[in-house]
Order: sequence, then C-alpha cells, then structure tokens
Amino acid sequence: MISISKLLCDLDAEGDGLRYDAAEGSEKPQITEKKQRRPVVVWNTTRRCNLYCSHCYAGADLDPASGEFTTAEGKAFLDQLADYGAPVVLFSGGEPLVRDDLVELVSYAADQGLRPVLSSNGTLITREKAAALRDAGLQYAGISVDGLPERNDRFRGEEGAFDAAVRGIENCLEVGLKTGLRYTITEANAPDLEGVVDLLAEKGLDRFCFYHLDYGGRGAEIVDADLSPQEKREAVRRVADMTLEYHDRGEEIETLLVGNYADAAFLVEYAREEFGEAKAQAVYDYLERNGGDPTGERIADVDYQGNVHLTQFWQGYSLGNVRDRPFGEIWEDESNPLLEALRNREEHLKGKCADCQYQSICRGASRLRALAATGDLFEPDPQCYLTDDEVFGTEAGSMVGGAAD
Amino acid sequence: MVEKARRSLVESDERGNPTPQWEVFVRAEAADPMRHVGSVAAASATEAHEHASRLFGWDAADVWLCPAEAVERYSTRGLATDTGGEESRVSEGADGKPEVQDA
Repeated sequence: MISISKLLCDLDAEGDGLRYDAAEGSEKPQITEKKQRRPVVVWNTTRRCNLYCSHCYAGADLDPASGEFTTAEGKAFLDQLADYGAPVVLFSGGEPLVRDDLVELVSYAADQGLRPVLSSNGTLITREKAAALRDAGLQYAGISVDGLPERNDRFRGEEGAFDAAVRGIENCLEVGLKTGLRYTITEANAPDLEGVVDLLAEKGLDRFCFYHLDYGGRGAEIVDADLSPQEKREAVRRVADMTLEYHDRGEEIETLLVGNYADAAFLVEYAREEFGEAKAQAVYDYLERNGGDPTGERIADVDYQGNVHLTQFWQGYSLGNVRDRPFGEIWEDESNPLLEALRNREEHLKGKCADCQYQSICRGASRLRALAATGDLFEPDPQCYLTDDEVFGTEAGSMVGGAAD
Repeated sequence: MVEKARRSLVESDERGNPTPQWEVFVRAEAADPMRHVGSVAAASATEAHEHASRLFGWDAADVWLCPAEAVERYSTRGLATDTGGEESRVSEGADGKPEVQDA
C-alpha cells in the first residue's frame, strides 16, 4: 500500500497503525522507519455475499458455503493471530456482514489486542450496525465502490448497489467510524475515478484506496478487462494529479495505491517532475523503508476454510491450514521453498526486474500476475508500465548513482 | 511413564474454497526426503500437477498430489483442540499405541 498523500503532500494520516507499525496516535510518519515484520492478516470470514461482482478475487457467491468457521473456531483462530503478534486482522469475505456473529468476532479480536478493520461492500451497514461495530472496537471500514452508479451497479451485478454503498458510508461517518473507499481500477471504470472521489468527498469521505486488478479469483477471468500498462500509468498519474489538486485547495484527502509496486517507481519519477530532485529523493527513501511488494511477508490471507494464502488475491495456492497448525507456525515455516523464494525474490527475479534500478522499492511487483501471465513466478509483472529509461536508469536524473545505491 | 502427546482428529472433509484442494509433496532432488509444501486449488489431478509444477517444478525430482479430504489428520494444536470441540479425540502415546478419548 503506497500513500500518495503522504509521499507528495506530507499528510500524516490515521492509517499509520493500520498498514505499518506506528501505534495509534503516534507521530511517526505513515511509512515508518522500521519495516513491519508481522503481516496484516486478511480473513475471508465467509464466502457468501449479497452481491456478485465480476472481479471478485474470492469468487464469492450468493449461496452460503459449507465449512466456514463456527464462532468458537473463529475465536480460536483470532487467538492464533494474537499469539503470533499479528498487528491487524482485516475482516473480509464474501461480505463479512452476512455473518451474524461479526460484531462478536470484532469485539473478541479487539479484546485480544488485534486491531480489527473491515472490508465490505457497504450495502448492509445500517446506522445501528455501524454503531455496534464501532462499539465493538472496529477501527476502520473500507467500502468498495467501483464506479459511478450505472457502472458500479453493472460491475456488482445489482441495481441500486451504488446508492446502498453510499448509504453505508454515510452511516459509518455519522457514527464516527473511520471510513475509506476501495476502488478497483479496470478498463470499464477508469473514466469514473475522479467523479467517484468528488461525489464521496462531498459526503465527507477523506480516504481513497485505489486497487490494481490482480489475477486471482474471478479477477483471473477478466484479465482482458484490465487496463493496458500505458492506460494504467495514466490512471495513476490522474490519481496523483487529483491528490495535489485537492491538497492545493486545502482539502486534505488521503489517497493510496494498492497492488502494483511499479507505482512506487512512478511516484519517484512524478515527484522529480513536479517538485525536483530533493523531493524525489525523499519519496524514494520513504518507499525503500516501506520495502516494496508485501506478498508472503507483510500481508497474509486466511480463507473461510482456514487455508493460508500469500495474499488475499492468491487463493489458488495455500501454505497450510490453520485447522492443522497455528497460523504463526505456517507463516514462519521457511522450509517451504516457495515461501523462502518469495522472501528472497531478489535472487530469483528475471528479465528487466533483475536489473531494474527500482528493484528495492518494487521487488518485482505482483508475482501472481507474472505467474498467471507467463507461467513463471519470477518473470516481470505484465503490468509494469515503466519505460526502459526508468527501469535501467539511462535518463538524466536517474536514481542510479544516487538514492538507489 | 512417558508423557503422551495428545492429538485430536482434525476435520478435513471440507477444504475447497470452493475449488478442490490438493496437498502437494515435493522431492527437490533424488536423494532428498519428500516434503509437504502446501496445497493447490485445482479441479483435477492433472490440473493440480500443472499448477504445482509452475510453483515448484523448476528443480523438483518428484511431485505427489493427494486430495486434501483424503488425508486423515491428527494434531496436538488444531482449532478444535483450542475450542474443546466435540469430536472424538484420538491420542497416541510415545509407545505408538493410540487411545481414543471423548472431548
């Protein structure tokens, strides 16, 4: 997760404790000096969802799935995470609000010292439910909207889904729950990006997370709907431009990018272009501390059957199952050659990634996209949109010989 | 008297998410022991082998696959153990003799 508003506008946000290792209320910068060693754990609490989105990485369905954790098993799993020292548990799905024990589980997580956060489509968040989640200790709700009403509803397979999600966002904001937007950028909804931000900022939302499409779950079936690398570059530039425009007007929105660490390199280049070499250097330093793509290190996923995945998008491979063995044991077991290789990926990256001057802030971006597109785990991410000059540092102002060394 | 490890039967009949899970075992080189390396989601054994080969096949001498639900599992620290689940529990002492207990 890369914070544009922090890197370009020096906005210190409440998200410090969510994604990095700064404590709540800390004055540390959002991208901290010390790399977070324990992963944020995404928990797909259920496969069931009241919507049917075309890009769902979890392949969620309208019908309930068998084998989901009972409340007692869910609590035992949360104990495992607390014992291991996971800083954050992200309640996800499916749609987590279809679980009638969600408030109880959130409360239990908070009691165990985990920081509970939520990923939801927002359509089931009434004011009462938002208040109950807040009282249970929920620290943040990320709500998915993927376009203006017409496009969002087509994407989500339900007319009225946009309005229902916006009501959910308003309900969260009204009870004082920190809330943000989750927006997965595809070819179909890229034109709506600024419109959605404008509309939701007007309603009081100030945190906007933009996700690149990863090629897992149903996302793998819509690879053709992804933007081309060049279009992706333009979309990221628009998000950066928009962030600066908002901040120039005194509206301090928080904007973040998720799922493509080519963005890290792009933001260094963007900072140089807009603000000069000193700013580019500062941006690079922050990103180097952040450590690049977090797959298999600072992000983990456990699905509704207990299978442990390298990220929430990589549901096709599991390191183990928490019904067999505690999460911490599975995550620490580097006798697994894939886990070991991913954690030392610099030794394995091929093609332009092997020689890229931005390797330490990107780390090859999505290994899942590389695997899906090429069949080889260590080939370049097909969604790297950097130019050869940027990759190999042949342009004036390159980081080679400067910050990259 | 030797202290006995207390293992419980782990439910494993439902592991698909929803694609069936295949436990993957890899022998990296001919003289190496076979090692469990997780599971892949695949509709068939052939597909599971292809998937596992992409992940582990760059230097593996052998790849074995087994449907996840076909594996009988007994653990000292599964979720059911933590929660005092109601399944019959099977323990096995250091002498290798199993004993069945009710939770």
